[in-house]
Amino acid sequence: MKPAPFAYARPRTVLETAGLLAKHTGAARLLAGGQSLVPLLARRLACPVLLVDINRIAGLDAIEVLPDQIRMGALVRQQQALCSEVIRREVAGLAEALAWVANPVIRQRGTVIGNLIANTPGAELTAVALALGARFVLRCAAGEQILAAEELIGPGRSVPAQAMVTHVLWPRRPAQAGFFEVARRDGHAPVVAALVTRTARDCRVALSGLTRTALVCPTMARLIGEGYPRVPSREALAAALTVDLTQTVHTDGACGAQYRLQVAPAVSWRAAQRMSLSRATA
Amino acid sequence: MQCLDIRVIVDGKALTATVPVRLLLSDFLREQAGCGGLHVACGHGVCGACTVVLDDVPVRACLLLAVQADGAAVQTIASLPQLEGCEPERGLTPLQQSFRRYHALQCGYCTPGLLVATAKFLAGCPSPDRARILEHLNGHLCRCSGYANIIAAIEAVRA
Ligand SMILES: Cc1cc2nc3c(=O)[nH]c(=O)nc-3n(C[C@H](O)[C@H](O)[C@H](O)COP(=O)(O)OP(=O)(O)OC[C@H]3O[C@@H](n4cnc5c(N)ncnc54)[C@H](O)[C@@H]3O)c2cc1C
Ligand code: FES
Ligand code: FES
Repeated sequence: MKPAPFAYARPRTVLETAGLLAKHTGAARLLAGGQSLVPLLARRLACPVLLVDINRIAGLDAIEVLPDQIRMGALVRQQQALCSEVIRREVAGLAEALAWVANPVIRQRGTVIGNLIANTPGAELTAVALALGARFVLRCAAGEQILAAEELIGPGRSVPAQAMVTHVLWPRRPAQAGFFEVARRDGHAPVVAALVTRTARDCRVALSGLTRTALVCPTMARLIGEGYPRVPSREALAAALTVDLTQTVHTDGACGAQYRLQVAPAVSWRAAQRMSLSRATA
Repeated sequence: MQCLDIRVIVDGKALTATVPVRLLLSDFLREQAGCGGLHVACGHGVCGACTVVLDDVPVRACLLLAVQADGAAVQTIASLPQLEGCEPERGLTPLQQSFRRYHALQCGYCTPGLLVATAKFLAGCPSPDRARILEHLNGHLCRCSGYANIIAAIEAVRA
């Protein structure tokens, strides 16, 4: 057997889950789609004392339309979100990004929230959540709390061990969107990925992969917004990016900082091009 | 070591078993359920060799625990005729024939997962274009064939 021994629980409700997390603070780990966590268990890079399988909790698999936001439960699978008309229309950029995540089989099991929380360097969806200002609904034994995306997936942040994320709230923002990435192999986490989304009122840009956690780029966004429908040159985007680059450039065995820095303006340019050619979903 | 009793339907047969909670579904299927046709290669979700259908959804058996399949129906390569909607026990299925005809396998290690996933893929998308086929193949590594023959075999059976 590959994973190290653990105890296993299969709660039926969020309340029960919060109770288990409170009782085993720091030693319990939630299991959603398992597409990030099970490989870690198999390699014994994660060795929880208790594994809490949330897949049988009822009512967490819905995408709900609320007056000013879209509420997505912890068991909404990536493929389900990718195929959702509501998401395509109201959360411009999310479906475009999801199409680049893994492959259809992984996406049918992997959840949107599990992906965001795993927050692996380069993860496409983290750029979307930060750029759009998504919020997370957390539940622990003490009660419910709503936190902004940067408080959970920003630099140095993570989900408190005693909390379960029950929902992610996406602001409703029909817009034009473009997404592009460079990866070593299709269907794997990118070296650098870029999201560009624009409404008549504002433009937003975020990059994942360039820094350890996704980077929101207001200067690049202003430049692209002002130039619309023309896309600024790569040189102009590179200059804007130096202003936005407030974190150190990520480097790992796959790829060094220099290449990441070099490719980021080109990836942003392509995402902006795609945005410019796309039609507004409004 | 915690164990749980599970009830699973594997390739149409109802099974009950007592399994350690940390046993992976892929190991359960091969070692306890007698599914020798199921192959395991990378063991972390990358290669697609272990793909099976769990309650109608294709999944990586190496990324699920056996206890997670409790109450579910699992279909491996042995259910390929059902997955393709043809009579069981009537020789090779159309996909198998096409793989043979186009030489879409050599060592055959990747083949069971690939056939299961492709049968599901074609059931949902009967006439895929080249781009859709490539996206589908993205989830499957084959060290032998170079993919050209796999693509040809799938193109030959699409509606
Ligand atoms: C072959 C392959 C290719 C991939 N390619 C990509 C890719 O290109 N881009 C990409 O971004 N990802 C990729 N992934 C990762 C994939 O998207 C995962 O599905 C996703 O990262 C995790 O979602 P999950 O539901 O499977 O979460 P799990 O693996 O179950 O959990 C991930 C983490 O989040 C925690 N968690 C899960 N749900 C909750 C919750 N509700 N509350 C609190 N904590 C929670 C878990 O405890 C764990 O720490 C790939 C995976 C594989 C196997
Ligand atoms: S063995 Fe499961 S995907 Fe490779
Ligand atoms: S036929 Fe050998 S790995 Fe595909």
